[in-house]
Amino acid sequence: MKRIWRPFKIAFCIVAAAAGGDLFLPPAATAQEEVASAIRRYKDREVSTGYYERYEVRPRRFKPLVEIPGVRQGVFPYSPSAAAVRIRHRLSDSHAGIPFYKDKTCASCHPGQTRDIHTVRGNITCRQCHGGEPIASNDFFYSPMNPIRRHAYVCAKCHPGASASFAAYVVHAPNPASPGTLETFPVLFYAFWAMVVIAVGTFLVFLPHTALWGIRELVMKKEKTKGVPTV
Amino acid sequence: MSPRSETRVRRFTPIQRLFHIFLMLTFLTQGATGLSRMYIQTGWGKNLAAVFGGYASALTVHKWIGILMICGFMLHIFYLFFTVKWNQAPHVLFGPDSLIPGPRDVKAFFQHLGWMFGIRDFPSFDRWGYWEKFDYWAVFWGMVLIGTTGLILAYPLTSTRYIPGWGLNVAFWIHRIEALLAMAHVFVIHFFIAHFRRHNFPMDRAMFEGSVDLDAVRHERPAWIRRLEDSEALDPLRVDPASTGFRIFSYLFGYAAILCGLFLLIGGLVNAPRITW
Repeated sequence: MKRIWRPFKIAFCIVAAAAGGDLFLPPAATAQEEVASAIRRYKDREVSTGYYERYEVRPRRFKPLVEIPGVRQGVFPYSPSAAAVRIRHRLSDSHAGIPFYKDKTCASCHPGQTRDIHTVRGNITCRQCHGGEPIASNDFFYSPMNPIRRHAYVCAKCHPGASASFAAYVVHAPNPASPGTLETFPVLFYAFWAMVVIAVGTFLVFLPHTALWGIRELVMKKEKTKGVPTV
Repeated sequence: MSPRSETRVRRFTPIQRLFHIFLMLTFLTQGATGLSRMYIQTGWGKNLAAVFGGYASALTVHKWIGILMICGFMLHIFYLFFTVKWNQAPHVLFGPDSLIPGPRDVKAFFQHLGWMFGIRDFPSFDRWGYWEKFDYWAVFWGMVLIGTTGLILAYPLTSTRYIPGWGLNVAFWIHRIEALLAMAHVFVIHFFIAHFRRHNFPMDRAMFEGSVDLDAVRHERPAWIRRLEDSEALDPLRVDPASTGFRIFSYLFGYAAILCGLFLLIGGLVNAPRITW
């Protein structure tokens, strides 16, 4: 009798495994693993695209220093006059060379990064995520903030099990109403304004409507209440 | 005292009234817990959160009551499955007993507007006014939208397996704006229409007591009463007025809800400039 059930058991196992997604997809990456690339967000199941940003590959002979993409590569002198050409995205110390750095707070140069839920409501300090000195750029290969391991090294500290997709949450979210968001985060911009149009439209119709209705009933003469009597 | 001193007609069944009470309680809880977290930077928000045990546990309450609301919404869908006379569909779906809006409602809306300006007669409303249909579908759509985004935000580790993490940013703003719209609509428009306009002041008893005064409804919804009389369906709907005790309780309950709503509305408006949006 037991033999009869064996195919059913096997079939059940296959179905269960397929349902779990483990049969056809790579296993779910746990929070402590790096992912191959942050370009294609593969949720927590990693399938590499074979395409990598520079910050996603271990730096070899090239120096992860300052450059103007497409214009010039190489080392620029740090000086106040060269401030405009500093692109600090790939530095091990993104604040290197900033005058009077010790006397500044994070917010004195990054005020826009202090207005999000993590900072305002969660009372998270900058250092809790960005770490101590030197603070590496997010795109510096070895940075804990590098998108290939941010979920594991930063997010998972408070959100155990965070995946790379989870870490794509925009912590320093832009103001959804501002026109600049159309460039940086168009989906948020359109979603926000669509909702605002719905909300404002509802009130544009129903506020005057309800006010007029109330006034009309208020000023109605008693004999005219035949149309609309009082309870 | 004659029991028929006041002739009343049933307008809502007990289960419909229960749905409404359920919605009132859960909606106010969600509003209070949600606003307490949104306004946690202000003293008003902190005090509000303290009612629910603070910033963290307000979220716990918010999530569980949200799940309860979604369960209630599912129950309502089931209720529709069993209540709507599907064997008469689609005719029944667009009939006067249906909450589905139609061209009639657009016409009634404009005629009602005309009546407000004194240039047209009062429209002959049927069982549901266009504003009531709007309220129903506003809640329906709001439940879908707020419920979905709420679940996405409540279980971000799971939801980001199916959507990218930046979807949480989008879901957050949709959740917030839709919730603010819902609260403002209920606390301003719905409260005014159901309680504060002269016709209903101090309270429309229909939703708690389940019945309306026949004379009053004959004037406000003449098409409905005419239809009931023509089909001889009016007599089965006649009910006795509720007891005085029940009426006192329903007034207290209704006004407690109104005070809670106005507290949230005024506190939210006054403190709006003080928070980081």
